[in-house]
Amino acid sequence: MPAEHPAPAPDFVFVPDLPDLIDPGEYAEHPEGRLVRVEIRVTARGVEVLGDGLRPAWVEDMLAELGGGPIEGMLCG
Amino acid sequence: MSEPRHPPEEPTWTPALLASANADGSVTCQLCPFRCVLPEGRAGSCAVRANHAGRPVTATRTVAVAHLDAIERKPLFHVHPGMPVLTVAGPGCTFRCTYCINHRLSQYGRERGSPWRGEPAQVVGLARQAQEAGAALGMSYTEPSLAIELAVDLGRAAAPLDVPLLWKSNGFLTPEAVDVVAPFLTAVNIDVKADDDTAHRQLTGAPLGPVLDTIARFRAAGVWVEICTPLVPGASDRPHQLAGIAARIAALDPGIPWHLARFSPDHRLAGPPPTSPDALGEAVALGRAAGLRYVYVERALGPAGRRTACPSCGEVLIERDVWALAASSLRDGACPTCRTPVPGIWR
Repeated sequence: MPAEHPAPAPDFVFVPDLPDLIDPGEYAEHPEGRLVRVEIRVTARGVEVLGDGLRPAWVEDMLAELGGGPIEGMLCG
Repeated sequence: MSEPRHPPEEPTWTPALLASANADGSVTCQLCPFRCVLPEGRAGSCAVRANHAGRPVTATRTVAVAHLDAIERKPLFHVHPGMPVLTVAGPGCTFRCTYCINHRLSQYGRERGSPWRGEPAQVVGLARQAQEAGAALGMSYTEPSLAIELAVDLGRAAAPLDVPLLWKSNGFLTPEAVDVVAPFLTAVNIDVKADDDTAHRQLTGAPLGPVLDTIARFRAAGVWVEICTPLVPGASDRPHQLAGIAARIAALDPGIPWHLARFSPDHRLAGPPPTSPDALGEAVALGRAAGLRYVYVERALGPAGRRTACPSCGEVLIERDVWALAASSLRDGACPTCRTPVPGIWR
């Protein structure tokens, strides 16, 4: 059943660069693209969760579920 | 109800090129091959060009992002290797690609999750910023041809500063649009997403023919062109599609660099798996079998996939990291061993 007051979509901020957590050498080991890797950092700004995955939507869904701030993502091209 | 985190932003509309006013008050847009006829008050299928009181206007004189990145990311491998690019983009695209990773920006006006973003572009400031960074100016991430007025003005501002202007485009332009922007462009990477019209329409919502015409027309105008093909499952990843695209490129010029892009499941095509490295390797082989001399894969095949080798003697001439130049032994644009020229724009 849909929520009566669905949560607003999280802010999405485009950034020029983000660290890779997955090496291209790992692609062949995950042919279905089910690899998601997460790194949690405590910084001066608070807790940052860095995600990388072979299916970008999965990483974004996970970060949206965690909440707590805008999601930063890169653009292609 | 809580307030939105940021006040909603609205487009700023400015006069548009490449459109004609009709006697009935409609406007015919001549920027892309859809050639939309826009009744008063309506926008075209792109959602960023419109008819306001019988006058053609555009919302694309806008910068939503301005990122300093690498020329290898466009990707352009035979143009100033290692050069940074101040890349700007505003909302909008002529295509509706099912797999678009940039859909939050490109699909403005079509999808709820793609709100308006951006501020009016500061043309002179962007050109100076690029010059100070030793960078080119790039228009990418969304479809730059929709911002042809901005491209012309950026080109005019950048040329005296010796700052090249680069595009990453879907190539879906009218011949008139190519003619307007070509004098200001140094290089463009154009996607060829399929070998036949049916597959191309299925992926993008647009026909293939105008894309091929644009490639030829830019080249005839002296703009350096590289081509990119994403291996989209069930469409462009089929061997006959890839072989057909490679043959088309080779027929134009076997020296055109061909970039093969790995598919990442996203947007409305989130189900299929990502492209395997083996499939990319097979696509490279198809390109070489078609006679293409420079076939590249950005990441999945490691440094070998990004390497430029002399087509005559095989000597490795340019080594690249991911989105960076690692080393170049090119001498005056040629192999230092056998002196075979390598096509491109080299520093």
